[in-house]
Amino acid sequence: MLRLHGIVGRADDAELHQRLHALEHAGALERVTMEEADLGRRRIRLTSDKGTDCAISVDRAEDLSEGAVLLLEPGRAIVLRVGVAKAWRLRARDAGAALQLGWHAGNLHWRVRFDGDMLLVLLDGPLAEYRARLAALLDAGLVEDGGDG
Amino acid sequence: MSAVSTRPAARVGIGGPVGSGKTALVERLIPALMRRGVDLAVITNDLVTAEDAERVRRSGLIDPARVAAVEAGACPHTVIREDPTLNIEAAAALERQFPGVELILLESGGDNLASTFSRDLTDFWMFVIDVAGGDDIPRKRGPGVIRSDLLVVNKVDLAPYVGVDLPRMLAEARAVRGGRPVLTTNCRTGEGVDAIVQQLEREVLFRQ
Repeated sequence: MLRLHGIVGRADDAELHQRLHALEHAGALERVTMEEADLGRRRIRLTSDKGTDCAISVDRAEDLSEGAVLLLEPGRAIVLRVGVAKAWRLRARDAGAALQLGWHAGNLHWRVRFDGDMLLVLLDGPLAEYRARLAALLDAGLVEDGGDG
Repeated sequence: MSAVSTRPAARVGIGGPVGSGKTALVERLIPALMRRGVDLAVITNDLVTAEDAERVRRSGLIDPARVAAVEAGACPHTVIREDPTLNIEAAAALERQFPGVELILLESGGDNLASTFSRDLTDFWMFVIDVAGGDDIPRKRGPGVIRSDLLVVNKVDLAPYVGVDLPRMLAEARAVRGGRPVLTTNCRTGEGVDAIVQQLEREVLFRQ
């Protein structure tokens, strides 16, 4: 177990980016991937793409996020990747339908994002289970189903 | 343990329906964790009382000052998911009062199968159901059953008395959870509690 505490930098920082690039060429850059649904955790156990068992923590004031550099040594670095949540894209036919759609999303405690006039539902499970909850609105044509592609 | 390995204190949620055995599990986890030298505190959530906190404080298992109470005043899930500020503040207060604390157990008030914990509040959370609640619970695919980091099936000793096919119930639980862990307990005797402690030691205490 490799114990890692705190974030030492960001992969998109210009200076760090070059060092990480060099380490990657030398085969000394490892990546650990955290599921999007785990965002917010300050302690997590993850295995890197090179098989290193990493026990990761940050202080409560810090966030584990995409590109966080967790280890930076002359001959080795570990960078955090965050998986991207699948999103179900929905567009309401009119204001009345939008009110109903918004009510359902809130009542079901779905995690959502907005993209123009689209409502994006972040999926924590199979799309079919989400579709079943809105079957009446979809069947009535009140909400357009943009899929999760 | 070095200081760096204990900061921040791990926050572990315990949710589940009314009467499934959440407080009984807390009462079993406290001595099991303390035997391993874990510096511990507890937060209990109740509707409009401090009933569970008082039960844990009177248990004699832990310094009563290390047990904080949060009164939700509404549906229990509101203070562990929608707006966990009260619980975050309670945890921060315990960390200030007991700087060496390694683990804070947060017991939710009894709720339904849909309750889940916010990741802003907990690093790991378990959902407790019991066989007497019915062997159809896993099949109902409640978010608590499906999304928790660990599903605990309690009161396994009651299976023969309530007509529950325990192996089938566990197989269905594992199937709906996509391979994430399911453990069984009898909190009356302590059976199965060590396996939960081992899970916590590995996943958030980083002792294994």
